[in-house]
Amino acid sequence: MEHPVTVAIIEDHPVVAEGVASWVRSDPGQRVRLVQTARDLTGLSGVPGLSGVPGPSADVIILDLELSGELVTAQIPGLVAAGYRVVAFSGHSDPEIVMETLDNGAHAYVSKEEGRDHLVEAVLAAAADRPYVTRSQARAILADQRPARPALSEQERQALLLWFQGMSKASVGRRMSISENTVRQYISRARAKYAATGRPAPSKDALLTRAIEDGVIRPGEITPYRSFARAAAEPSLGAPDQ
Amino acid sequence: MTAVQPTAMMSGRYQRAFTVAVVFLVAGWHLAGAGGQLLHNRAAYGSFAFQGAMWLVMALAITAGSVLVLRGAPGWRPAWAVALIALAASTAAAAASPAGQMLAVNWAWGSAGWIGVLVLFRRRFSELALFLAAEALATLGVLAWDGLNRAELAGFLAVLAWSTGAQVAVAAGVRALDVAAGHAAAAARSEHAARERAATAEIIAAARHARWLALQESAVPLIAELAVGTADPGDTQVRIRCAVQAARLRRLMAEGDQVPGSLVHELHASADVAERRGIAVEIETAGLLPQVPGPARRVITDAAITILTAARSQARITLAAVTAGIAVSFVTDTGAVIHLPAAGEGVAIQQQQDGGMFWAEARWNTL
Repeated sequence: MEHPVTVAIIEDHPVVAEGVASWVRSDPGQRVRLVQTARDLTGLSGVPGLSGVPGPSADVIILDLELSGELVTAQIPGLVAAGYRVVAFSGHSDPEIVMETLDNGAHAYVSKEEGRDHLVEAVLAAAADRPYVTRSQARAILADQRPARPALSEQERQALLLWFQGMSKASVGRRMSISENTVRQYISRARAKYAATGRPAPSKDALLTRAIEDGVIRPGEITPYRSFARAAAEPSLGAPDQ
Repeated sequence: MTAVQPTAMMSGRYQRAFTVAVVFLVAGWHLAGAGGQLLHNRAAYGSFAFQGAMWLVMALAITAGSVLVLRGAPGWRPAWAVALIALAASTAAAAASPAGQMLAVNWAWGSAGWIGVLVLFRRRFSELALFLAAEALATLGVLAWDGLNRAELAGFLAVLAWSTGAQVAVAAGVRALDVAAGHAAAAARSEHAARERAATAEIIAAARHARWLALQESAVPLIAELAVGTADPGDTQVRIRCAVQAARLRRLMAEGDQVPGSLVHELHASADVAERRGIAVEIETAGLLPQVPGPARRVITDAAITILTAARSQARITLAAVTAGIAVSFVTDTGAVIHLPAAGEGVAIQQQQDGGMFWAEARWNTL
């Protein structure tokens, strides 16, 4: 990458903000550059109603979902509309909050337990409009029972389940007798299907466009509405491929 | 889940019986009441053929409405379609009746009202009220068109009170019976639940005894060996045996709690012992987990204890709802070969060793 991805951290606990900054700094490739740290959203440029300065100040925002005791998931559409990509970083792991965050246009959801291993990678993926699925996101997708959820194939569900269970993607591949790349493909496709549902957002469009360009998903596989007749896809470990 | 079903079925059976009763009432009225009046006054109509045709249209509406309500609660579109057909046919029949004699020879008003009752009685009450009001207004409109005098208005009000009153009473009565059937079914369910609780208490007592027996076989000999000195606490094998027995004891205590999600609870208890050894254990759940019966839970927690005992520094336990069951998985860092205890009680166990990472999944199916 020619220039590093710029990132802003919105985090009301200074200790956590400092920890996140140190993860960003300790990335061996120095692929991410921290340009702003703020305790709330008021200092962000380019967000209507927040600041008069036009244009986003960073490529990606690492957003703590709870600022001064209040959930800020409802602010995500405004941030996304202003041109930011949002990576939610939260102590909450409630699947409903994860789903709401993604539905509002966040690129990825990283729980605080997952931060060290996933945050920098999630920021890089968001900057490139590529799907990034943490285990907490996989969990929320597996738990999703909303009528309007997208239809996932059995393989996609199985890859998500094994990933959620804690296997590495390479191990998931060996378990499913497929390549690690195919595992990534399945998981990314499941995420891309979610970008095609719910509230429209420019970040979702960008993610879908990129997924189609990358061959992760074909336009025909995008199902904005899940019919109940297709609701039966579930993984089964007793399949003969093991 | 299973406890609710008989209740729903029972109150469903009553409701169906009430529906059948309403169908007979409406069909009977149309055949005998309206049909009888139509034949009796056949000479009075300008065109008996037209009146007969309207009668047939309404008979067809009753057939369609009966099919709808016997299949289940109809949606507003089909229900109102039938109701509006009846309203149109009855208004046409009234309009074609001779002026001045309309109320005396009108057979259609009552039938139309009953058809409204048939298709709307389990929908919002305001819908039935709206329909009956529309029907009455249509009839009044025809009367007014023909020139309404005071005697006719009095007659209209009398018929309105009688027929609409009866229709509202039947609709309200069936709704009340529906509610009563729901109560009866709920009472039956609570009796069923009481019997189930008594049976559960017996099972719990038996399980406690079985647990006590299990301790006699496993923990007690180990404690005896430690006391006598034949087991050396410095020996790694003895320490592992102690860890396993400690985990079992914790699980046995946790098993006593008859709380929802008790499998999660028992796994936490099993993890507790590993955590004391410095193993970082995460437990996560995904989806709405089904209740797993005791013997199957025992198979799963036995596997958990064995795996956690072999863990080197960390373990992740997940419980995920899958089609008709639950998948409990364990991922841990261990190079050791783990011999899992036997599966059974509806639990299938799979495992995979991948370098230093061990994965196992215990799957329990309700099927």
